[in-house]
Amino acid sequence: MGAETLGKTRLETSVAAAFDVVAWEIELAGARCIQLDTIIGELLPSMPIEQRERLLEGLHTVDLLSQHLTGLSAFMRTVSEDASEEVSTPVSRALADVTLGALANRLFTAFGGEEEVVRDLPDAGDVDLF
Amino acid sequence: MSFNTRGLEVMIAENDRTVLEMLQIRLSVAGFHTSMARTGPLALETLRNSRPSILVIDLNLPEMDGFEVLEALQPRCGKLQIPTLVMARKLAAEDIQRALRLGARDCMAKPFSGADALDRVARLLRKPTPPTATPPLAPLSAKPVVYLRA
Repeated sequence: MGAETLGKTRLETSVAAAFDVVAWEIELAGARCIQLDTIIGELLPSMPIEQRERLLEGLHTVDLLSQHLTGLSAFMRTVSEDASEEVSTPVSRALADVTLGALANRLFTAFGGEEEVVRDLPDAGDVDLF
Repeated sequence: MSFNTRGLEVMIAENDRTVLEMLQIRLSVAGFHTSMARTGPLALETLRNSRPSILVIDLNLPEMDGFEVLEALQPRCGKLQIPTLVMARKLAAEDIQRALRLGARDCMAKPFSGADALDRVARLLRKPTPPTATPPLAPLSAKPVVYLRA
């Protein structure tokens, strides 16, 4: 179900569009990291001192991850701008490997799949594992 | 973010779910309230029931595009009441001119980063400083002024 269903629909997109879609997804992942970073920062003062150092470590990791994603997203945006609109690539097989329901659904519609197809599919969590 | 976002609402009209969610998260983390619509008619309906501080709208909305939404928002006379940031993939010069004519204050070409979007929103909401600042008046002297006769 889910990703498997989406993978059966034959979809093709230009290389530039594929990179663009991935760039937006990385940007979204980066935004979630910033959100997590903010939440940890808010919780930090209320934590017992002995646990703060561990949480601070986590905060640094999330901050690093956020910068990592920001860099990757910027890279992909530029690659997408320079990539060919003429050359197309199939994406159906790759979509079948995306097991996170919400991500698979977003990618499917971004690559031109009908929104009606994903409307009834599970939207969150790993649809194949849970 | 160098200004207070408390009580400010950003309405995002965008069909792409990834862009919509990314903007919603970035703006919420910055302290804004957000409302969202994925089609032109839904954007208009939301705007009828609320008065956001700023509208961020994609020109390629389904059912009714961003230009049509801006046209529908035009008051009988005067300018668009809500500061509006227009975004689109491959913004042509004529699109920018048309959007500005319809009252948009700024245009942003896709793709952009979340940080860029946040900067643009903040710039539109920042209150303009008066162009010519009047120097403060000199404090009144405590001593009475004595006029000397020639």
